[in-house]
Amino acid sequence: MARETAETSGVLLERSRELAALRESLDVVRETSQGRLLLIGGEAGVGKTALLRRFCEGHGDLARIVWGACDALFTPRPLGPFVDVAQTLGDELEALIDSAARPYDVAKALMRELGAAAPTILVLEDVQRADEATLDVLRLLALRIEPIPLLILVTYRDDELDRIHPLRVVLGELATSQAVHRLKVEPFSPAAVAMLANARGFDGAELYRKTAGNPFFVTEALAVGETEIPDTIRDAVLARAARLSLGARKLIEALAVVPQASEMWLLEALADDGVERLEECLTSGMLRPEDGRVAFRHELARLSVEESLPPNRKVELHRRALAALVTPVTGSPDLARLAHHAEAAGDARAVLRFAPAAAERSASVGAHREAAAQYARALRFADDLGLEGRADLLVRCAHERFITDQFDAAIDALKEALRLYRELNDERRVGEALSTLAQVLGKTGRLGQAEKATREAIAVLEGRGPGRELARAYSTLSQLGMYAADADRTLTSGRRAIEFAERIGDSQTLIHALNNIGSLAAWSWPETSSELERSLELALQGGFEDDAGRAFSNLAELAVCRRNYRSADGYVRAGLDYCSEHGLDLYSGYLLATRAWSELDQGRWTDAASTAAHVLDMTRDSTLRTLTVLRVLATVRARRGDPGAWEPLDDALALASSAPDELQRVAPVAAARAEAAWLEGRIDDVGTETDAAFELALRRRAPWVIGELACWRWRAGIREELPPQTAEPFSLLIHGDWRRAAELWAQIGCPYEAALALSEADDEEPLRRALGECQRLGAEPVAAKVARRLRERGAQVPRGPRATTRENPANLTTRELEVLALVAQGLRNAEIAERLFLSAKTVDHHVSAILRKLGVHTRGEASAEATRLGFAGQDR
Amino acid sequence: MPRYVVERAFPDGLRIPAGDEGAEVCRAVVDRNADEGVTWVHSYVSDDRKRTFCVYDAPTPEAIRKTAASNELPVDRITEVRVLDPYFYMDKRRTE
Repeated sequence: MARETAETSGVLLERSRELAALRESLDVVRETSQGRLLLIGGEAGVGKTALLRRFCEGHGDLARIVWGACDALFTPRPLGPFVDVAQTLGDELEALIDSAARPYDVAKALMRELGAAAPTILVLEDVQRADEATLDVLRLLALRIEPIPLLILVTYRDDELDRIHPLRVVLGELATSQAVHRLKVEPFSPAAVAMLANARGFDGAELYRKTAGNPFFVTEALAVGETEIPDTIRDAVLARAARLSLGARKLIEALAVVPQASEMWLLEALADDGVERLEECLTSGMLRPEDGRVAFRHELARLSVEESLPPNRKVELHRRALAALVTPVTGSPDLARLAHHAEAAGDARAVLRFAPAAAERSASVGAHREAAAQYARALRFADDLGLEGRADLLVRCAHERFITDQFDAAIDALKEALRLYRELNDERRVGEALSTLAQVLGKTGRLGQAEKATREAIAVLEGRGPGRELARAYSTLSQLGMYAADADRTLTSGRRAIEFAERIGDSQTLIHALNNIGSLAAWSWPETSSELERSLELALQGGFEDDAGRAFSNLAELAVCRRNYRSADGYVRAGLDYCSEHGLDLYSGYLLATRAWSELDQGRWTDAASTAAHVLDMTRDSTLRTLTVLRVLATVRARRGDPGAWEPLDDALALASSAPDELQRVAPVAAARAEAAWLEGRIDDVGTETDAAFELALRRRAPWVIGELACWRWRAGIREELPPQTAEPFSLLIHGDWRRAAELWAQIGCPYEAALALSEADDEEPLRRALGECQRLGAEPVAAKVARRLRERGAQVPRGPRATTRENPANLTTRELEVLALVAQGLRNAEIAERLFLSAKTVDHHVSAILRKLGVHTRGEASAEATRLGFAGQDR
Repeated sequence: MPRYVVERAFPDGLRIPAGDEGAEVCRAVVDRNADEGVTWVHSYVSDDRKRTFCVYDAPTPEAIRKTAASNELPVDRITEVRVLDPYFYMDKRRTE
């Protein structure tokens, strides 16, 4: 094994910085008993695994080590890495994962197990390949790691994350957590490569030029030992394999079709007596043992060998793997692995047997993206399945795509299903598919097409009398009416849907229809909001997850529209927990957009902009959500006087113009554009920006929207009659009572609106308050306007406080702000600890830091200071 | 990546110590900027050291504000800018 040692030391050249960072993290965990998560990024072959192996070998005496890896199946198994982890941690966890437990329960069990023996290092490798459920567990672990003496080391290939990679969303979410740190593993420097090359008599510059310092490539090139340096990683790997005996080469080729560590019985099935050559492969360093299994030393090596196999041999090997995995020697058959080999073997019958089953399994643990991919895999082999079977797969695939926010792909699948049902003359299914299609079209803003599809569904179904499908079609029509804030349409169709649903005992349609009617309250009709709450209650009771996710999302948005921020933030938090637990990406996205909106209104602009940027990183199929966060981001920039407000406002306008009937799109964009124009002093544009939206809002009798738009028009000098239902703080201001309007806005929790109201005053005192508030918020353009008015009155105008300390005067960290808000609510440390998932000791620590930074001595003084600075009421 | 000029006011005057300590201060700022993909190109400082005009490459204005907060630097105004080279116009005229 002399060569292995030389390689190990080679791979770990120039790694003292990384090893020191790892050691420091472990020391922090051991000394404070507080958890930490380290995200370790780097390109494929850069030596992330080698680094971690070396670190764990050196520190096995200081911590228990648990290892889990994401395998390279095209569609990963749900919770794959935790299956490995469970094998180390014991029966309870294993049973839990076997029973298709939810990410939330898996995370809880993991935290219990991992916190039991202190301290523990948990390694999760290659999470760029992780399934959705694994990412959910990772997210939950990261959020709650602080009170547990646990070091989580997560590796990922940062060069494989495209813009909409699901891991990017998780990384973005974790970015603000204090327990999360990052480490980047860089390729070797030219000097290190030269050192390794010279030791073997190679040209260092040439080796660096070809390998760009990639440690895996360097090691492979050197291992070939010939004078010519191979041009690619693949050439290097194959040249190295070519030096093995024929039997050993056959074994390596057989193993190359298995995308994870291979069990010995699988190896025997693949390679027959070639297994005798295993020792040679291990000694050569191409393979390595792993917990009673065998794996390639690196995934890049496996891929190189697999790509080099002739197609017929590849198919033959996959066929053997499939046969062996159907009846595994230990454990139950793994559906995701079976589906993978079935497809690679080109065995349609096996794909149709295993892929839909793997999809169901993935969906049941909340890995809906993987479920959609498995259905799509089945569909690729479904030509001989018959129309009905194919249509059924298409509908199921569309559903999984819909709830993971892949609208366009869902629409394609539904249109194809519709075609098949028409061919089958199955009216009931045609009607059902049309309703589903309409719902997805509605979410993309294509209300016209959506309504046409729904009317067609009703026409097809009406002749068949009241049934589940007809009830659903009416409920869909009601939903489209709700998007347009059209009360008559929503109520008429919604009530009919409820009547049918109750008559036939269809609780899901009842929940759906109640949601539509209740959601109207966001714009008008406040009395219907109780129906939305009832919809949530019934959905939770019945375990209808999509409906519950939708209810959470609509309740949160309704509360923001009606400017009830406490309620909005509560529903956002509860909804995000629920959606993450059940893998409902679509509604998580809506909830995050609503959070950004709420943060904007409450004057937390830094948070609002970063939440908005985070949502923009997700897919953009959901145009309503994109529109909301574009508007939030643009408004933050405009209010600060920062550049770059108009580009997102133009994008948002384009998304709103495609659905001119939707008040929920048209009105917020018009208001934001009016505000930005007004802030730039272009008051003549305010009228043109808002005419159409204002007219629509009047027709829909939407009090808050009418108020907001009317207020911008009034500021721009437009004088018009206001309807009696105009929301009070706006109508007060327009009628000259700025003092009462400012009080109301302060009570509601909108500091910027309050400052704007004060800025209408003529006296020095309220103008000074407006100026102070604008400076605190960082609202430069309005602050400048107010300062000018003060100077016109001959008043001395003070310079504002330093910009960094405006939003957060005492320079408290986000976590400290959270703790302070709870201190101000009179909570004890133990209660705060429970609320924030921290240890009591950590809370003690935060509280003393807060007292020090605020320069006060008691909690009472801290609360008073918090109130004075305006973040006592922040309930995050 | 867009380029910005960031105006900052230092009512008490800006002081960056010479030598290693100053280099350390600047390095710390540059490192923290890198977290947000922000590059500090260079700055112009007024004679009284009370105002600076800093040229930055950054993905968004929010990134500039975020790094300013972590570096405890004030931000008075952010303006997106493009290069205008007078000699480009003069050369062009000569060749026409």
